[in-house]
Amino acid sequence: MTSPVNWTILGLVIERPSYGLELANRFQRVYADVLPLSGDSHVYSALNMLEAREMIEIVSRTKVDRQPKPHYRATPVGISSYEDWLVEQIDAQNRSQELWVRQLAIFAHDPRLALQLLDRYEHRFLKDAGAAGYLPAGSGLDSREELIDGLVAEQRRVAVGGMLSWLRYARARFEALAGSGDGDEPART
Amino acid sequence: MSLLELDRVASCRGSGVALENVSLTIDPGEMIVVWGERRSGRSTLLRIAAGIEPPDEGTVRFGGRDLADRGSEILGDEIGYCRRGFRPERGLTVLDQLISSQFARKVPQATALTRACLALERVGAAWCSQLPARDLKTEETVVVAIARALTAEPRLLVVDEPTIGVDPLKRDDILKLLRSLADDGVAILASAGEGTAMLGADRVLSLGKGTLRGELSPDLAPVTELERHRQARG
Repeated sequence: MTSPVNWTILGLVIERPSYGLELANRFQRVYADVLPLSGDSHVYSALNMLEAREMIEIVSRTKVDRQPKPHYRATPVGISSYEDWLVEQIDAQNRSQELWVRQLAIFAHDPRLALQLLDRYEHRFLKDAGAAGYLPAGSGLDSREELIDGLVAEQRRVAVGGMLSWLRYARARFEALAGSGDGDEPART
Repeated sequence: MSLLELDRVASCRGSGVALENVSLTIDPGEMIVVWGERRSGRSTLLRIAAGIEPPDEGTVRFGGRDLADRGSEILGDEIGYCRRGFRPERGLTVLDQLISSQFARKVPQATALTRACLALERVGAAWCSQLPARDLKTEETVVVAIARALTAEPRLLVVDEPTIGVDPLKRDDILKLLRSLADDGVAILASAGEGTAMLGADRVLSLGKGTLRGELSPDLAPVTELERHRQARG
């Protein structure tokens, strides 16, 4: 199962046994900014897939307006699979970062151009750094939503510091390359 | 006219360069955080901005006037520089420290007491006024140091690494305090060695090898009040 939406819905079921419509609403509330949902039907198809893989099960069925309304909960297999998937996400993050660095490194043949690019990137990065990880007033750690806000905010802010340190290192490497005149020959087309 | 203006400032340290051709302006009500690694020159930049030490090259103007012409009189008056340390000779309690620190500026005792109490109230530290200063936790020391600087009702507050060594769960309280002071019209210039200390800044600048990067003038970075941060987020 590769769809992040499916895994996210599984997480919501683990958090609290729910009906399909309630899951769609919670999905929009919690993840709307970071993971788009094509529509409520996506939730129902995900639930069918999760049920077929025995990651969730139906606890009860009630009828609303003559329509069956199944109530889902996670199985031990579902919880275990979700945990494994979360841990594996570190690989996806690393790949994404490595991809960006490799794309930047094509300028090794022209380190001065790379340095200009790093300047532009840092300028853009700094522009939003003050607002990164902003916590609204009154936030504490006494509710679930505030806990999530706090964890997300800290992750963003730590990432800002890490990226600035990396930019310093990258600049030093390209400066050394520019000074040595050892840039690679540009690729010819 | 900006409140503080650094114009092509340079500073040397031994055979190295701490700051090179640094220009920066700060307006009232702005909060600026300068990020840099150790030995990046960030503390030097703050000391020069506060008028504690002169630049080797370039000028620093506060309110349009060259700091070099005004000597040290401006420090501790219109420019507040937060020092964390407490001098034992200035008294045992937090309140003693805040009162006696004003005597150097020839503030009468009654006025000093009033200002000290108001400053502690403003930073939410009135509760610790009678505690021995040496017994404060790190985050309390920072907040009290800010209060001590506020007793002079400065227009610019300079704070070197306000959150270093502070409990992570207390750190945001300090940053929100600085943000709220900026929203009250005080310009804030702070340094940071980590990304977690940039919260609420209108502008974040980076400093490395003596070069300052980012939005160096407020024209391109309008002041963002706390409330607007909140609206933008939610």
